[in-house]
Amino acid sequence: MFGKYKPLLGEKTQLKSSYDVVIIGGGLHSLATAYFLAKEHGITDVAIIEKNYIGFGGAGRNTAIVRANQRTQYNVPLYKEALDLWPVLTKDLDYNLMFNNCGNLNLMHSEAAMKAARMTIATAQFHGVESHLLDAKEAKELVPALNISEDITFPIHGAMFHPPGGIVRHDAVVWGLAKGASKYGVEIHQQTEATAVNTKNGKIVSVETSRGTINTSKVLISAGGYSASLIYGMLGIKLPISVLTIQAMVTQPLKPLLNHVVSSGAYHCYANQTLKGEIATGAHMDQWPNYTTQTTAHYIKHQAEALSEFLPCLRGLRFMRIWSGLADMTPDMAPILDGNDQIEGFFMNCGWGYFGFKSCTVAGKYMAEFMAKGEAPDMIKPFNLRRYEQHKLMGETAELVTYTPNN
Amino acid sequence: MSLTITCPICGKRDGYEFRFGGEDKGPRPDEDGLTPQSWCEYVHLNECVAGRQKEWWVHKDGCGSWFTIHRDSVMNVEVATPEAHK
Ligand SMILES: Cc1cc2nc3c(=O)[nH]c(=O)nc-3n(C[C@H](O)[C@H](O)[C@H](O)COP(=O)(O)OP(=O)(O)OC[C@H]3O[C@@H](n4cnc5c(N)ncnc54)[C@H](O)[C@@H]3O)c2cc1C
Ligand SMILES: [Zn+2]
Repeated sequence: MFGKYKPLLGEKTQLKSSYDVVIIGGGLHSLATAYFLAKEHGITDVAIIEKNYIGFGGAGRNTAIVRANQRTQYNVPLYKEALDLWPVLTKDLDYNLMFNNCGNLNLMHSEAAMKAARMTIATAQFHGVESHLLDAKEAKELVPALNISEDITFPIHGAMFHPPGGIVRHDAVVWGLAKGASKYGVEIHQQTEATAVNTKNGKIVSVETSRGTINTSKVLISAGGYSASLIYGMLGIKLPISVLTIQAMVTQPLKPLLNHVVSSGAYHCYANQTLKGEIATGAHMDQWPNYTTQTTAHYIKHQAEALSEFLPCLRGLRFMRIWSGLADMTPDMAPILDGNDQIEGFFMNCGWGYFGFKSCTVAGKYMAEFMAKGEAPDMIKPFNLRRYEQHKLMGETAELVTYTPNN
Repeated sequence: MSLTITCPICGKRDGYEFRFGGEDKGPRPDEDGLTPQSWCEYVHLNECVAGRQKEWWVHKDGCGSWFTIHRDSVMNVEVATPEAHK
């Protein structure tokens, strides 16, 4: 795909002077939006403007966990539809997305956490999402490697088990959607930086890029962790976002021993075994905003300590790689999907923090509908920016790890 | 991420002793004439600048002082001035 003599993706490398739609950022949400704009709404005159290469951002750095056991009534149906879409897209894109439907086990370390899990499970079940409460012994039957003894820092009281979730191959989703979108004529311009968005009388008129100006009446900024800085810098719109780095790492490969995604809020740690046998694990965020994507010794130590307590058979393993990416966190742990409000023709999709992989296809689907029809579809209406000034925050605080500079 | 922060009382210390306290947004808005928008702006909205910004920190595992510094969010280092030297 990145061969020397071929265009990076698609046939056209020439940037035209105008498009019906310009999408800034070449991550999962942009690619999905472009794919659905073309496939469902016949809008194919679309340019994706990507500063580096597709998959450079969170799209190529995430740990690929998918699930639909969120806490609130607005979030669960959205994530459920996203889960249901993986097998459909595998067929439609004719691309193996490698959905490993292994289920997620969310450990609880106190009676208060068990109570919160009961409520989360009730919400899931109300929305038709499979989710059960397990006691510590049942969790151990499911994952024999778990340490359920009393003498660890955070003894395990029980767990929330969510069988429909698992892992999807994140790179495959990037490539599959890019291939799918370009098949309909969407142009993906890599190595092209968007530098400004111009408006006239409250309407979008053009986008400046490092390769020239593009006239357009519709712009979507969906540039992962870079979105908030771009949206304020280009249009002066401030967002309730803090951009932190989140780190992840993998161990040397092992024989199969973990067949579920295991996560723990108290230990700030999640782990799953990849199809290659490595234990992929993550969750740490330094709590101050920065765009470095640096990794830290501080965190390697934290991760080793956490894993050796609740999965003690991993003691002594070697970490092979560590990396980090950006997470654009909102105060209510829910994204911002909005458009045609502050500026006519301007759309945004951001604030996905560390949960924007599992949701990318469905967010793209509804943003495409929003951009095609001009009206926000009901499913994503509650995710508008004005909810913050109306004090309608979503309370998605029972996320895996609530990790923002605000708490 | 080897961040160091300079506390006005304790001097230059390991960044993990501190807690980030948000972008500097000036004084809390007056109750008079406060609107949902201006309150939201003060409480929630950020500039998220990729570059230098003025921000609050508290020396939580130290003397407990609150203070502001300038930091470059792209380099992740404390800097002396709001503007880069030309
Ligand atoms: C370590 C880590 C683990 C994660 N684990 C999970 C997980 O298990 N499950 C989950 O659901 N989510 C996870 N996430 C979150 C998820 O990866 C992100 O929410 C999601 O990828 C962000 O959306 P995106 O893919 O659309 O954007 P990104 O892939 O971040 O794309 C943004 C793109 O915009 C480009 N760009 C920036 N500025 C400009 C400009 N001026 N002009 C043009 N282009 C520009 C960048 O080059 C980049 O390619 C994780 C994230 C990280 C970092
Ligand atoms: Zn001090």
